[in-house]
Amino acid sequence: MKINSRNCRLVAKKEFKGLINEKTIVLALLLQLFIAMFSSFLLVGLASMYNPDAMSKYSKMKYPIAYAGETSHLYVKLMEDPNLIVYPMELSPAVSALSERQLAAVVWVPRNMEETMNPMKVTIYLIENDIQSGIVSAKLKSVLTDYETELRDARSDRLTAMPVEMRMPATNPAGDFYEFVYGVLIPLLVFMPAIISGALIIDMITEESQNKTLETLMSTPVSFTDMVWGKILAAFLLVPLQAGTWMILLILNGIYIGGFLEILMHISIVAFILILIAATFAMRYRERTNAQFMFSIATVVVLVFALSIPMNSGNIIVRLATGSIGAEHMIVLLPMLAVAMGLSYFVTMYSSRLAQKL
Amino acid sequence: MSVTGGNNTVSDEKTALRRILKISKWEIRRFAGTMDKGLIPIVAALFILLVVAMGFANSSGIHLEDNVYTVFTDSDESIKIIGFDSRFVIYKVPSGYFSQHPQYLLDPQYRDAFDLIVSGDTVTTSGTDRGNAALLAFERDYSRYKIAFYNRQKDLYAAYPVWIDEKEVESVIDFTATQMGRAAFSYSNPYRVPRPANIIEIPLPSEEIEVPVEELRRYLIADEGSDPTISRYTDILKSGDLDVIPYIVPSQMSASLPFDTIVLVFVFIFPLYFTSQFFMMSIMNERIDRRGEILLSTPVSPWMIIAGKALPYLAMMSLIAVALILYIRADLIIFLPLFPVILFFLSAALLIGMIARSFKELSFISIFFSTVASSYIFFPAIFANIHVISQISPLTLIIYQIQGDGFTAEEYLYSTIIFYLVSLVIFWFAVKNYNGEKLFMQHKILTALVEFVDGVISKRYVNTSLVFVAICMIPFVFLMQLMLLVLLFNFPMPLSLIMIMLSAALVEELFKSVGIYALFLKRPDYMTWKNLAIGAFAVAVGFLLGEKLLLFATLAEISESVFGAVMFSSLQVLWLPLILHFVTTLICGSVVKVCGLRLYILGIIAAGVVHTLYNLYFVLGVFG
Repeated sequence: MKINSRNCRLVAKKEFKGLINEKTIVLALLLQLFIAMFSSFLLVGLASMYNPDAMSKYSKMKYPIAYAGETSHLYVKLMEDPNLIVYPMELSPAVSALSERQLAAVVWVPRNMEETMNPMKVTIYLIENDIQSGIVSAKLKSVLTDYETELRDARSDRLTAMPVEMRMPATNPAGDFYEFVYGVLIPLLVFMPAIISGALIIDMITEESQNKTLETLMSTPVSFTDMVWGKILAAFLLVPLQAGTWMILLILNGIYIGGFLEILMHISIVAFILILIAATFAMRYRERTNAQFMFSIATVVVLVFALSIPMNSGNIIVRLATGSIGAEHMIVLLPMLAVAMGLSYFVTMYSSRLAQKL
Repeated sequence: MSVTGGNNTVSDEKTALRRILKISKWEIRRFAGTMDKGLIPIVAALFILLVVAMGFANSSGIHLEDNVYTVFTDSDESIKIIGFDSRFVIYKVPSGYFSQHPQYLLDPQYRDAFDLIVSGDTVTTSGTDRGNAALLAFERDYSRYKIAFYNRQKDLYAAYPVWIDEKEVESVIDFTATQMGRAAFSYSNPYRVPRPANIIEIPLPSEEIEVPVEELRRYLIADEGSDPTISRYTDILKSGDLDVIPYIVPSQMSASLPFDTIVLVFVFIFPLYFTSQFFMMSIMNERIDRRGEILLSTPVSPWMIIAGKALPYLAMMSLIAVALILYIRADLIIFLPLFPVILFFLSAALLIGMIARSFKELSFISIFFSTVASSYIFFPAIFANIHVISQISPLTLIIYQIQGDGFTAEEYLYSTIIFYLVSLVIFWFAVKNYNGEKLFMQHKILTALVEFVDGVISKRYVNTSLVFVAICMIPFVFLMQLMLLVLLFNFPMPLSLIMIMLSAALVEELFKSVGIYALFLKRPDYMTWKNLAIGAFAVAVGFLLGEKLLLFATLAEISESVFGAVMFSSLQVLWLPLILHFVTTLICGSVVKVCGLRLYILGIIAAGVVHTLYNLYFVLGVFG
């Protein structure tokens, strides 16, 4: 079965025109981009909120807290923290002041057990459901962990062994944000166009049979195979377009993305495979609900499988984005290309077989 | 069968119910008929494959973030800490390597080739973002290693000398005092000695740790988790132990950013959204096959048709939700916050199915809708346990429940009422427009939506209808404005307030004027100046009424903040907002009347500016 490339281009062009004529699609894409933009704004803002030290403005920020109960070395350590101002108070007035927001936290130490065998019990009062409580709690955590290490060292004769000691510089909690952006957000945004295009090819193919326009189309010189490949072409071209826009938006938001073109290359081939799978279902069922249903399940299966394999395309994209892979990412392209070519052959054969039946 | 007076309504209800059930039965049969018979074995095979794939993923791990960080180490001990972590590529050299090759520690050219260098017991980072993230990952692994080590120490109180009891205090001052945004960080003067206005005596908590030491150890070990590459994604689904952990050690304080709640979106929201697609397709198919016409020609009223068609999908989605809850072994009460989400998806599916012109359009609108809906559900949930804003999302309630905290009826009402109301209004609009004329039209989406609004406005009681339409628009306005609030509230304070104010005003004017716009589009002859003025007044009355009703019922907490004040006009004075609504609607309508429908957007902007000025003057007192 020969494919007429001119006919394919014609079909693809027609599909593109249709997509643009229904302006809602352009609108939907724009709005989606808008949301992506805002969500990364939100996340950047959030990360800086959690780590106020990262912004010099907040490093001079001081939080008033109260210390109640018996005095201890913890009191000294809290006093030494440059971000905290400690007021020794009775518990009840302190908690009342906290609920009136004159304080950021209250630390209560009922009894000093530093020199004993017993544990130190520390009660911490914080305001519920409050962003600021999260920050103060992070500050207290670092003081308390220091204090814990100190006491543990004093009690080390009671431990049967010691863990490996490691010294490291202070960490920056913005690292969480890093893994969310590169480990979740970018793969999600980049894979989405591939899945959308898979769904789109089903729409394009099933629409012809469900609207009964297929017969008209078959009476033209365009063969069934030409039509399928033209539609595949249209759906496929949308992928780098969309994925590229997502990434440019992220870059504009100040998120570094290494290997822009390489990522587009990898996602394009993933998308191509998904589109071929989707096209097969669309040709098999020629009805949208069935085809979409099967495609969705198949996509989940394929993605879960793929993600459990080391060096999968998702991993390659993550590493390209973070800039932690060299030219070896090309190796992955080979098996992917082989799969794509196999599927292409299958789709061509299957469509020409169907064409004979029609 | 003849029915006498008194029993009339009862038997009507009975017939209605019988008809709905009958349509449901048809719908199930139709659905089964649509699905290809050859599908079942393939679906079964795919499901088996899915289980296999999940098993495979479980045993081999998720390899998404493999080999992102590079570590150059000469320490055998460091392998114990990160050896299992697939995120690291480890280059191991014999110990003491770096004392012979100090350039790796001193010369930036060598140094920065790696994210981390471990020389003996000292870790250094390249200082790039990736280096910092690598250090954080290393630190997490290290503390996990240490925790596992200490958890097994015989003398637990020597390993963990400090135990913390965290208590939460309710703030007595409302949110106007410490605003969301920048103001939340600052105390006017942290050096001022605190003097509470009212001292409330609180009972002293116990001085001792009342829990037996082995019990504490059990909690610590349960908290360790398993393979971090998988637990990262599954931990969020783990229900808190039935008994809440009473004491924590310092390293367990303040959980990290709950970005991973996105997993909940995948587990709960996507399957439900996915199932709603069947309903969407069913509606779309009625329009393609024109089979819908047959039902419409029977005495069955549209609401029965829609209810009957929706019922099987409602049942299906509820079953799926329950199955998912049981699967992750969570409390069935989670179904309560999921239910309005199900209704919301169904109503959206109905609307999209009724207006899409083609499959492609159907796909794109529904993908767009799902993105917006899941952002609305996901982003506020990030702030769960941190800020009250998180409660506008039902997902937050699910997080609370999974944590073991539970939620109150008030919180439930607060985070779900918008979903209930929006779904209700969409269903009502759909019922009113479920007729041959509207079902088989091929309009652009926005035109179609305006057609729907027009379909609701009665031919005779135009102004009464306008009041009603305005009331119905309120939940949408709230939905959009809350979304804007979530999106914009973390910009720096003056900017965020201005942006929220402007966009909130524009949203409000858009929804307020939609009824008037529909009349201009469909009944241009009716829209004389006089009728425009009366109509604008009707809209103003309806809007005010709806706003007050909803505010009264729920959103007190947000509406009391500065953001709330600019979004929803204040409650105290009634005639001021009434005049505002009237004037702005009139402005927008006049622009359309004079310049034509094309400049509608200009009318909205003009009205929005007036609205913003009003807010600045009356709510914030800027010019005064």
